[in-house]
Amino acid sequence: MLAVQPSSIKRAAENRRPARTALPNWRREQRRAFTFGLLPALLVLVAITLGPTIYLIVTSLTPLDPVHPHSAADFSDPIGNYRALMADRRFLNSLEVQLKLSAATVVLQLAVGLGVALLLNAGSRFLEAVRTAFILPMVLPPIVVAVVWKVIFTPDVSPMHRALTAIGLPVHSLIANPDTALGAIAVADTWEWFPFTMLMVLASLQMIPAEPIDAARIDGAGRLALFRYILFPYIRPTLVVAGLFRLIDSIKAFPLIYVLTNGGPGTATEVTNYYAFVESFNFSYWGYGSAIATLMVAGVLLLSWFIGRLGVEAERDD
Amino acid sequence: MGKEGEAKKMTLLERRLRRRQLLRAGAAAAGALLLPGRAPAQGGAKPLSGTTLNIACWSSPYAKLLTDYVPQFEEATGAKVNYETPSFPIYNQRIDVELSTGGSSYDVLNVTFIYIGRWIGAGWFVPLDPYLKDPQKTPADWEPGDFLPGATAAFKDPSGRLYAIPWTADIYMAGAARYDLFEKSGKTMPDTFDGVADAMKAVHMKDGIPAFLPENHYGWSFIPWLQGFGGNVFRDPPEDLTPVLDTPEAIAAADFFAKLLRDYGPDGVISYTYDQVVATLKAGRANYSPNGQIFLVQLGAKDSKVAGTCNFSMCPAGPKGRFPGVATHGWGIPAGSNNKDAAWQFITWAMSKPIIRQMVVERGYSSITRRSLIDSPEFKGKLTVNGHDIVKIYLDTIALGAQGYMKYRTIYVYPQVDKQIDIAIQNIASGQLSATAAMTQAQQDSLAELKRAGIKL
Repeated sequence: MLAVQPSSIKRAAENRRPARTALPNWRREQRRAFTFGLLPALLVLVAITLGPTIYLIVTSLTPLDPVHPHSAADFSDPIGNYRALMADRRFLNSLEVQLKLSAATVVLQLAVGLGVALLLNAGSRFLEAVRTAFILPMVLPPIVVAVVWKVIFTPDVSPMHRALTAIGLPVHSLIANPDTALGAIAVADTWEWFPFTMLMVLASLQMIPAEPIDAARIDGAGRLALFRYILFPYIRPTLVVAGLFRLIDSIKAFPLIYVLTNGGPGTATEVTNYYAFVESFNFSYWGYGSAIATLMVAGVLLLSWFIGRLGVEAERDD
Repeated sequence: MGKEGEAKKMTLLERRLRRRQLLRAGAAAAGALLLPGRAPAQGGAKPLSGTTLNIACWSSPYAKLLTDYVPQFEEATGAKVNYETPSFPIYNQRIDVELSTGGSSYDVLNVTFIYIGRWIGAGWFVPLDPYLKDPQKTPADWEPGDFLPGATAAFKDPSGRLYAIPWTADIYMAGAARYDLFEKSGKTMPDTFDGVADAMKAVHMKDGIPAFLPENHYGWSFIPWLQGFGGNVFRDPPEDLTPVLDTPEAIAAADFFAKLLRDYGPDGVISYTYDQVVATLKAGRANYSPNGQIFLVQLGAKDSKVAGTCNFSMCPAGPKGRFPGVATHGWGIPAGSNNKDAAWQFITWAMSKPIIRQMVVERGYSSITRRSLIDSPEFKGKLTVNGHDIVKIYLDTIALGAQGYMKYRTIYVYPQVDKQIDIAIQNIASGQLSATAAMTQAQQDSLAELKRAGIKL
């Protein structure tokens, strides 16, 4: 075994690192110009992104309630809100509901988006028109989507319920039943957002070169084998990114819940951000609501990092 | 086709004419009423020209009616009015944030009943007494003393200062959209809780119509049942704010009420908001509803399919008595307003006798707070719906409300407990929890929320 001297490692590192003095003057000037040019934009960006986040975190350390303005500067028990959250049954329940909803919507949207993209991945004017139609739910204002589904899920006026009753398959209200309410929201959310996955996958499918597909076909690969060994490896990173976006977005689910169930029946569809909303804006516990929001931000950052890592590893494997 | 077109044109023309006449008459009335000593100057200058007033109220029938009358105020004063009427929860959330941050976006706001303690207690509205006492700002014939004392009392602070002028005294009563089905089953309008259960059993799904449909804001629609069983929300408000939602009386009431919902409500009954309830009743798709009078009188409206079959009664009584809800809402001036004097002019106009009378006569507005108008033949005529006298129910209920059982509602932390009651009733009606478990949970969660509010129990 060779003994490596620390001093030789240091020397090697120094040799690899470009010497500062090696930069020509014009290059240094260019860097300085870039830095000064970008600085104002960077400062604004930091102010409008980091500023509110820092304020959120600071507020979460107080019992801020606007009825008592002095509570904004009350740091006597900075982890009080977090301690209370750990013992808050509704908060813990909201995490569970959030996990279920996120899992259901991400899986459904990836599956439906992928399936529809594969079906529409061909060059024809008809399919292009169909693609455009499929994008519609995604571009509708979320509150409109919620109202549409409110009508669909209200048995009294719902065409879906009437149709099911007409064919002898009556179904009770899905949003008033605690066993089906969350599923009903997941279906509505999937309808609204599967086009996002569909578009991403379609774009990815259209980037695949024709040669490997032709070669696989010549070798006798069937549709399933073609998908498994050729298409899927190509679109896997896209699916990971789409999943990440949808996962983060699922944590922001709000209009559907607000309009369809108001978090109910009971607390069956009360996800974490809805609970934060109730505490902040129905009860005005801004400090407590900020603590919930801070935990959500931390959770989303963690998820982003984790899934980002998955994406990098997937690409490296490829 | 041609005739139809002509008829349509005529109708439009007539409507425009009526509207113009109305605007002219209203403008004259408002001008005379509004501006004692400040009549519009010769040459067309108007006292509030260049002033913009931002005004909001939740989407009550009154607030929506007022939309059509606001142009009269603009015409008379020259003010520009931005008037909005979002739904009840949206309004309360938005305004709570606006007020708590000291915003100056609004000049006139509705003071919501359940937020009275919070909004007035925090000093987010200005006292109106200086305006009322100033003859330059309030004409003598405006008569502040004409408003129902029970309604104005809710908007006073402990020192007696008044913060809002009540535009409604809404009462909780009962209505049947298809009373003919009651008659066919040999039932009358039920007067007791047991009578309700009995009647609902008899009429449920007659003609395919579910029997029982209250609104899903149970912090309002369930409380008369809770109190009728001998329960309450707080132990002794406002002195003792300990929630008492897990008492045997409260559990029995919740069990009884949720059973009515489960057994006799339409599919998805717990998802029906107040506007859905009204639409469903008017379409004859549900029958009996304990509800606010401002909603139930709409069963007799021109566009109602049940105008000829509806009937009404007082809120039914429980084993411990009759406790119909009485709610009031009023116009106030937020402390952050930059146009307080102009805001007061709007309030005096909106709550003036001529305008309220106009709303009663022309549009059948039924929830008024001026005693002189309540006693008027116009009002009595309008509140006789399908031959049934609602004025008596109205006055009897307001008299009951004066007994003090509504104190729970203006407690500033009531919105927190209100939400727990909603959840509890939903949990029971949807079969997630027993009445005992749901009300025990509501009690624990209410205690936690009150503790968070800093209340020492």
